[in-house]
Amino acid sequence: MDRPHNNPAHGQNEAVNLHLISDFNLDTLGHSLANDESSPRVGITSAPFGQVFPTLLQAHSDPSDFALVWTLPEKVIPAFEEALHCGEVHEHRLTSELNEFVHCLQAAQNHFRAIFVVSWTLPSHLRGNGVLSMRKQGPRRLLLQLNLMLAEKLEDCPGVYLLDAQRWLEAGGKNSYSPKLWYLTKNPFVPQVFSAAARDLKSAISSVLGNSRKLLVVDLDNTLWGGVVGDLGWENLRLGGHDYVGEAFLDFQRAIKTLRNRGILLAIASKNEESVALEALTKHPEMLLRPDDFAARRINWNDKAANIVELAEELNLGLQSVVFIDDSPIERARVREALPEVYVPEWPDDKTLFASTLGELNCFDSAYATTEDASRHAMYATEAQRKRSRAGVSSVEEWLLSSGTVVKVEEFCDANRERVVQLLNKTNQMNLTTRRLSSQELQNWAQPDNRKLWAFRVSDRFGDSGLTGILSLEIQSGVAHIVDFVLSCRVMGRNVERVMVACAAQYSAALGLEELRAQYLPTAKNLPCLGFWTSSGFARQPQDNLFTWSLRQSYPFPPGIEVGGWGTVAGGSASPPMPGRPDPSLPVLTS
Amino acid sequence: MNTLNDTPKNGSSRLDHVLKVIYESVSDLNQQLAREQRIEPSPATVLFGAGGRLDSLGLANFIVITEQKLDDSFGFPIDLTENDPFSPATGHFRTIHSLATYISDLISSRPEGAVR
Repeated sequence: MDRPHNNPAHGQNEAVNLHLISDFNLDTLGHSLANDESSPRVGITSAPFGQVFPTLLQAHSDPSDFALVWTLPEKVIPAFEEALHCGEVHEHRLTSELNEFVHCLQAAQNHFRAIFVVSWTLPSHLRGNGVLSMRKQGPRRLLLQLNLMLAEKLEDCPGVYLLDAQRWLEAGGKNSYSPKLWYLTKNPFVPQVFSAAARDLKSAISSVLGNSRKLLVVDLDNTLWGGVVGDLGWENLRLGGHDYVGEAFLDFQRAIKTLRNRGILLAIASKNEESVALEALTKHPEMLLRPDDFAARRINWNDKAANIVELAEELNLGLQSVVFIDDSPIERARVREALPEVYVPEWPDDKTLFASTLGELNCFDSAYATTEDASRHAMYATEAQRKRSRAGVSSVEEWLLSSGTVVKVEEFCDANRERVVQLLNKTNQMNLTTRRLSSQELQNWAQPDNRKLWAFRVSDRFGDSGLTGILSLEIQSGVAHIVDFVLSCRVMGRNVERVMVACAAQYSAALGLEELRAQYLPTAKNLPCLGFWTSSGFARQPQDNLFTWSLRQSYPFPPGIEVGGWGTVAGGSASPPMPGRPDPSLPVLTS
Repeated sequence: MNTLNDTPKNGSSRLDHVLKVIYESVSDLNQQLAREQRIEPSPATVLFGAGGRLDSLGLANFIVITEQKLDDSFGFPIDLTENDPFSPATGHFRTIHSLATYISDLISSRPEGAVR
């Protein structure tokens, strides 16, 4: 279904190494992954099978490597093996053996960027005593208990993710377990199971790398509803009601709304009269997606590829974040050809398959779920309001002053760690070095005394944008080096960048350091960051991208922005600046 | 799904049918193999042994995929490992043609109407 030039994962040319740790022969999976040329490319290191515990306890790898731990429940939990053969086992034995396995995973977690643990399954012939299989001591019930306990214990292990293998078995059909393969190769699963596993693993790796898509652009006629609204009128569209096609479209809208509730932005690209389409979205009694559910829209007769470019620009997203769904193969081909970075999945003609096809897309999978995700749509709605307000004042400077922006500075801590890691791994545009780290790696990095990491929350009179900035420093030989300078595109161009730099400068000056440095590492996507640093007032070293500021001179906080929490965070050495008039010596950023 | 009752009974057309099933299996198997290991869907292709590209794991996967497709296509199970597939003595996995002939003979030797 996925064309090679239209890759659902957007991290082009990335390569990672995956360690396969198992108590059975995983070579078929290794071959599937290694031979899959889509991004990210996966190199395979196989531990000898049957050595799960020692391999985990003695793990030593490049901390950017990933690991997959796929075990058979009866091998890891000997008490479960006894239960399979009608032996009476006490629950505390199961728990104790499971704890031992979890302990090994915890011991290994610092050595990998992420560990994927596969949930336990059983072949269908191990059904116990039929009707008693789900009674106490029944194998199916014990397996459910073990998986649930494993999931609960791994909940507290950052960077360790439990993957659902049941889906993969379904891909293998009724013969997903093959006794013949087991006896021939010490692998119990047919190749189809590994193909499904490889797809999910690629998606899991992509989501940890921060390569999830963020924006879903949809067509309207015959995509969100049945029929052409301009011809039929909104009253005659097929949507909901006692009509199988109408119900299928409604379920598709429900599936899209689920993505929206997970933080995926929605937008419309439709060839229609805008007023007619909006009337349908507003007035149809069974319409589940209303105009407010969409962060942006282009409803006109223009080229859809051009409209998608505009939508991405309006939402401050790169095209690599976009997925486009349209029932028309011509429109799909046009967008694929014009915008290869946009993922355009093949789409079925059969309307009853729309919702399930959307559910199968794994390009929206994210390894991080934060409160910011759930409220992303509200934040974009606020941003739209902010832009309207900006249009009503005479200058950007005045608007910034009137917006009542508050930046709250926080130390990096357990409470904000998940969001900081998410922001670090997902932000592309305002990102100085595009460093990607796992939660554990970042925590390890931040521990030495010569390093500092702050998180920045931004709000204004329109609403709360949440934790949207990160700045980290490393101090070496009297110089403070900015290692991470990351700001969400949601708050770019509102002088938050300057607040962050001013905090770093004030902190470094208080330590008696001589210079603050920022080394810009260019990527295909972080040109806006270079734009900021070029206008930051820092001196730029000729012919490279090193920006320096002499700390003999204070770096001014931008006026009009209240900075909260800075005095506490900076150890009382800094005085929190107060809102004031713009400093004419400072250029004001615009987005 | 086809069954024995509606699959070709004539020797040469049955062989063609079996070859078609084997080629489908080759196509499935090739998806897991590196480009240099992939095998051609052709009667002369060596499957296992000298000049072959498949290792024992690849051959085992190929056997299981092919058995499943034969079951789907002919309507009854066919065990391709009844004679040791890895033994040079039996040798029916030497080439795609030798395998197709072996399967075709197995089907012919089944009692008429012995469907599942």
